[in-house]
Amino acid sequence: MRFEPNEDQATFLSVLDQMAEDAGAAWEVPADWSRFQWAAGLDRTLEENGFFDCAAEESLGPVAAAAMVHRLARLPVTLEVAASALLRPFLPKGLPRPVAVIDDSPAAPIRFLPVAASVLSLSGDAVRVAVLAEGDVRPVDSLFAYPMGVFARTIGDWQRLDADPNAVREAWRVALAAELGGTLRGGQDAVLAHVRERRQFGQPLGSFQGVQHRLAGAGTKIEAAYWMTLRAAQGVDPADSAVALGYVQNAATAAVYDLHQFMGAMGLTLEHPLHRWTYRARLLKSALGGPSGNFGLVARRKWRAA
Amino acid sequence: MHFDWTEEDRAYRARVRDFLHRELPPDWPEIARHGPGSRAQTDFSLEFCPKLAEAGLLVPHWPEDWGGADRPTWEHFILGEEMWAAGEPRGAQYMNVNWIGPTLMRFGTEEQKRRYIPPMAAGRAIWCQGFSEPNAGSDLAALRTRAVRDGDDYVIDGTKIWTSYAGMAETCFLLARTGGPESGKAGIAIFLVPMDTPGIEVRAIPSLIGHGDIHEVFFTGMRVPATARLGEEGEAWSIIRFALANERVGIPRYELSARVLEQMVEDLRQQGRFDDPVIQSRAGAAAADCEAARMLTYRVVDGKARGAAPGAEASVARVAVVAAENAVMDFGLDFLPEAFSGGARPAYLSHHERAIVTGIAAGAAEIQLNLIAHRFLDLPKVAS
Ligand SMILES: Cc1cc2nc3c(=O)[nH]c(=O)nc-3n(C[C@H](O)[C@H](O)[C@H](O)COP(=O)(O)OP(=O)(O)OC[C@H]3O[C@@H](n4cnc5c(N)ncnc54)[C@H](O)[C@@H]3O)c2cc1C
Repeated sequence: MRFEPNEDQATFLSVLDQMAEDAGAAWEVPADWSRFQWAAGLDRTLEENGFFDCAAEESLGPVAAAAMVHRLARLPVTLEVAASALLRPFLPKGLPRPVAVIDDSPAAPIRFLPVAASVLSLSGDAVRVAVLAEGDVRPVDSLFAYPMGVFARTIGDWQRLDADPNAVREAWRVALAAELGGTLRGGQDAVLAHVRERRQFGQPLGSFQGVQHRLAGAGTKIEAAYWMTLRAAQGVDPADSAVALGYVQNAATAAVYDLHQFMGAMGLTLEHPLHRWTYRARLLKSALGGPSGNFGLVARRKWRAA
Repeated sequence: MHFDWTEEDRAYRARVRDFLHRELPPDWPEIARHGPGSRAQTDFSLEFCPKLAEAGLLVPHWPEDWGGADRPTWEHFILGEEMWAAGEPRGAQYMNVNWIGPTLMRFGTEEQKRRYIPPMAAGRAIWCQGFSEPNAGSDLAALRTRAVRDGDDYVIDGTKIWTSYAGMAETCFLLARTGGPESGKAGIAIFLVPMDTPGIEVRAIPSLIGHGDIHEVFFTGMRVPATARLGEEGEAWSIIRFALANERVGIPRYELSARVLEQMVEDLRQQGRFDDPVIQSRAGAAAADCEAARMLTYRVVDGKARGAAPGAEASVARVAVVAAENAVMDFGLDFLPEAFSGGARPAYLSHHERAIVTGIAAGAAEIQLNLIAHRFLDLPKVAS
């Protein structure tokens, strides 16, 4: 049991930290009041420097990949990291990214589809990929802070992968847990900064116990989710991935409510980035069955129920 | 980062389980029914702990000079998980092993060490901890029990409350005020007091939480020699901090909760009810709460094993442990209410009695949330 990163992981994560703190990843009030800001520059830098290959590298592995997803999800900008970092070992070499993932109905709006270069389908009993062409996809308006889209026409060129669909699904479950955990953490950091500074009744909001206890309760869950997700990435126990995703999804509802409460009216504007986190979390909290689906899966895996 | 056990850890756990399997009698569930403070379990511990000591499983993490083997932190922790999950056959003696012994080793005089540590290492010492008072619970520094110097003695007057194991203990680790009434944390000293000292009266308090667990202890003109003082006058607070830092995570309660949850699921399965998706989902949620508590606790243990300074992570872990205990307790109450009457499932009753304590004993959950807000989330101190 070792919670400290090894030397390579530590270097990897600290370089990632530096990149994440760089300009280009910071919040800017969007000129067009868009609900998300696609971080094309940071995405390219990560790709060019081989960051998405980390899961397959022996000294880094899926644990470092999950930590990377978590770290980048804390940013106010939007990136496709979860699928690229954790699923790459299963994907054909050179498959262009960003990768959109279909894990539910292919007819429903799909996250990242408008910016994706390829698409991975987990629906059905095989894993398939397709490279997207001009005109395949139509963007749709959405409540959520992701580029969302639907297929504009039927995709003909699906390639069936020689990968165990369950293993891919498992890695995807971990990826989503990491993404949601990081997203909540990013929102929480923004609200913590706010309640330390903002004063009412002559004192910082963060000195009121009614505020503190709710943030501390959520902070405990966000912290637990992080470690549970990293353990799930290592694949110690078959129930771990559903434990991690169900747990963080279950924590998300109250956490998101509280984050908006403590930001007051400012958090309801497009001038403050809080929505960038909360409207990602509000989508991810229902992924792959949501809390009840994932907790049910925990029960079936742990106790082999029907 | 690596979140699995080593082969040595597994072998060690197997050895502890094997020992428990051999040494716990068939009627152990009845012996353990009323908790570590009960007469039955205390008597049992006085036979069991010497055997543990013999097998090198009582104080393996202690230094060799005091009967230990300098074994790693993780082994001691695995041992604690297995003992608690088995119903704590060490009874009250887990306190000696975890923090009283190490605290005496660090701060005791030669005479105190020689007198008190060997019986602990042999598994034959029952202690109690006299901290809380009727008007000093969460605000421990408000304690009023007075120790007044009189020549070579101190005369101690006051009342302690919620004192676990006091009815059975031979020695009390007692906090009393040597400074003036307003001296706060700086005016407190520790006394190691034999419980048969004249002037002590113990009254058991009937409770929801097992036998012998909570008492009132009255000290009236009790005279103890100055050699009973541990450390200097005014040094109590820093010694207690050391003791807590050494203990850090407290009891690994999630381990028992996780195992009780297994039994509850098995009961539901036997009744043909475990196919209900609502029940499955709640069981999965409770299991996830146990795993959350486990991971946060392991993180603290890992820090201790690496020699890292104690931080607010221990409070984070404590809050998750409270959630885990409650999740399992409420799962049982919601889906197996019949098991809590008629005595068919003593293990559920014992677990229940442990679980309702978790958010209060050893620093209430709300105190932990205060500490998390301030030290982990870097929020300003609470507004007055
Ligand atoms: C089973 C059991 C065994 C115990 N064993 C021992 C023992 O062996 N020796 C010993 O000395 N003590 C023992 N205790 C006492 C224990 O340490 C105290 O119960 C605990 O510190 C809380 O004090 P209190 O019960 O007086 O509650 P109070 O201090 O009166 O607090 C009651 C509640 O108020 C809230 N609260 C209090 N302060 C704050 C605050 N600052 N912010 C927000 N909320 C607050 C919390 O919800 C708290 O639970 C034991 C208790 C139990 C339940």
